[in-house]
Amino acid sequence: MAASPDGQSRADDVPRRDSREVAMRVLLAGFTLLALAVPFMDFNPFFITLLTEALIFGIWAMSLDLLVGYTGLVSFGHAASFGLATYAAGLFAQNVSADFLLSTVVAMLAAAAVAFLTGLVVTRLSGIAFAILTLCICQVLFQISVVWRSFTGGLDGLIGVPLPTLFGREVEPGDELYFLTVATLIVTYLLLRRVVESPFGKTLLAIRANEDRAAAIGIDVRRHKLVILILSWMTGGVAGTLFVFLKAGANPMSLYWFESGNILAITILGGIGTLFGPIIGAIGFIFIRDQVTTMYRAWQFSFGLAFVLAVLFMPSGIAGITERFWRRLWPARS
Amino acid sequence: MFINTLNGVVYGSFLALTSLGLSLVFGLGRVVNFAHGVLYALGGYFFVIFLPSLGWWAMLFAPLIVVPLAIAMEWLTIAPIRHRNEIYTLLVTFGLSFMITGAIEYLWGTETTLIKPPVIFQGTVDILGNQFPVYRLIAAGLSLLVTGLVFAFIQFTPIGLQIRAITDDNEMAEALGINTRWLLTVIFGGAAGFAAFAGALGAPIFSVDPEMGTGIIIDSFLAVILGGLGHLPGTAVGAFIVALAKSIGGGYIAEWAIAVLFLVVAAIMVLRPRGVFGRGRIA
Repeated sequence: MAASPDGQSRADDVPRRDSREVAMRVLLAGFTLLALAVPFMDFNPFFITLLTEALIFGIWAMSLDLLVGYTGLVSFGHAASFGLATYAAGLFAQNVSADFLLSTVVAMLAAAAVAFLTGLVVTRLSGIAFAILTLCICQVLFQISVVWRSFTGGLDGLIGVPLPTLFGREVEPGDELYFLTVATLIVTYLLLRRVVESPFGKTLLAIRANEDRAAAIGIDVRRHKLVILILSWMTGGVAGTLFVFLKAGANPMSLYWFESGNILAITILGGIGTLFGPIIGAIGFIFIRDQVTTMYRAWQFSFGLAFVLAVLFMPSGIAGITERFWRRLWPARS
Repeated sequence: MFINTLNGVVYGSFLALTSLGLSLVFGLGRVVNFAHGVLYALGGYFFVIFLPSLGWWAMLFAPLIVVPLAIAMEWLTIAPIRHRNEIYTLLVTFGLSFMITGAIEYLWGTETTLIKPPVIFQGTVDILGNQFPVYRLIAAGLSLLVTGLVFAFIQFTPIGLQIRAITDDNEMAEALGINTRWLLTVIFGGAAGFAAFAGALGAPIFSVDPEMGTGIIIDSFLAVILGGLGHLPGTAVGAFIVALAKSIGGGYIAEWAIAVLFLVVAAIMVLRPRGVFGRGRIA
């Protein structure tokens, strides 16, 4: 194949792209197998619980990646989607039915409804203003969860959420809940992959690149922002549902702004615009936090310090570093 | 009702002082300083710590400690990443506020400290048949005075002119030979000083605890957004809207004040996305 004068050729690039696609799928399959094999490796039950939590955070971080990575909307109040769902699913499970699928649907609907109302205001904004206003909305939900004691249990939160059932069968905590989480994670990942690779997803990238130009070529920017906001919150709602069953309760701290900051850090440090990176970020975050908080008192200080250093020195996240390593391994032929 | 309004005005004058610093720093360098709240908290803490040895001079001494701290913070973490997307400054300062809150809890515990106002200001005055603490009026007056001085400084001094030029058009200002880098550092320090002063001044009214920065930063952000990003008079007006909505709304339905506040903010944002004066930025 003859290279074009500038040394680049599209046709030349195809085998390379194919090999990357194959490698990506091998990685995905490997990750899935590893995840499924973990319970058989005889780790202690606490490890499985921690890993379940990490994967739940992975789903949640992916949902934020839709906004931050694919649309360029940095939400600083994404705890809202998660926390709201923990209450919706928790209350539904306590009072109506603990069916996992039904609870998930209820939580997703609740998240979608609030996302719609939120979106009416915040889709008018972008950048910093969007970040700050979403933060404020989340803080309002936090406040409501604290003061509406008769409904949310105030600062104690919801206590004693029953175990979920799936097709009429109770899901045991531990391994079974872990498998449920892995399955949900994989389904969510594949669905979101479809979304971001669809024409709709490409339109979002156009909005991320330049809102004004996107509007100029006829894209209804506000409507696209509203749809992705709702979709993102619904995905966050799925994570919230799993979380409330894992913890057997909901807590207002899930709505606190620290959580919004944490999930944003997970997503960005994992690598935005990759869907995969945030999952890795979540696993890293949960395990590091577990180690640090049990070790010593100054954990919050050290955690903040680690956060600052990571933002300063690792702006493209874990996925970005992997990408660079990858490029060194398979240098682009030009 | 009347007392609620009055309390709202007192809180508004504090909020004006803190949100003004936030707005200035944003307008100058497109830096969103999430750590502004913990600088306010540090002001309160240093005041409490130095009160026994320095007496009420501690109120001036506290900002003097916070200013170099803030300048070091800016120089170490914000200046190197200013060429990146402005979201990164929000992230870094979020990490910083996490760090400093952690440090405060580690060093000084999580208890709430309540300071009594100085003896001569401990009484109450009678305003239209209502008893109101003297100290609140004095403190509100003081913070309004400082806010006024900041405005005068920006309006009438050569440095103020440079600040307005940068806020207006950063590249043009730089082309005209204004050192934006240096000015941002100075203003960052100054804004931190005002926040710390507000924290110290407010200590006898709002008490001092590790979480005090969170409340004020959320309200300040709302004030800045309401006023239109980077628009200073709008920010001051926004601060009073936030404070009054909170205190008057709180007077009717107690704990739901924040929901009322948010409804007011949402309504204003829908009607005037560029802030109350329609001159701020939307992105």
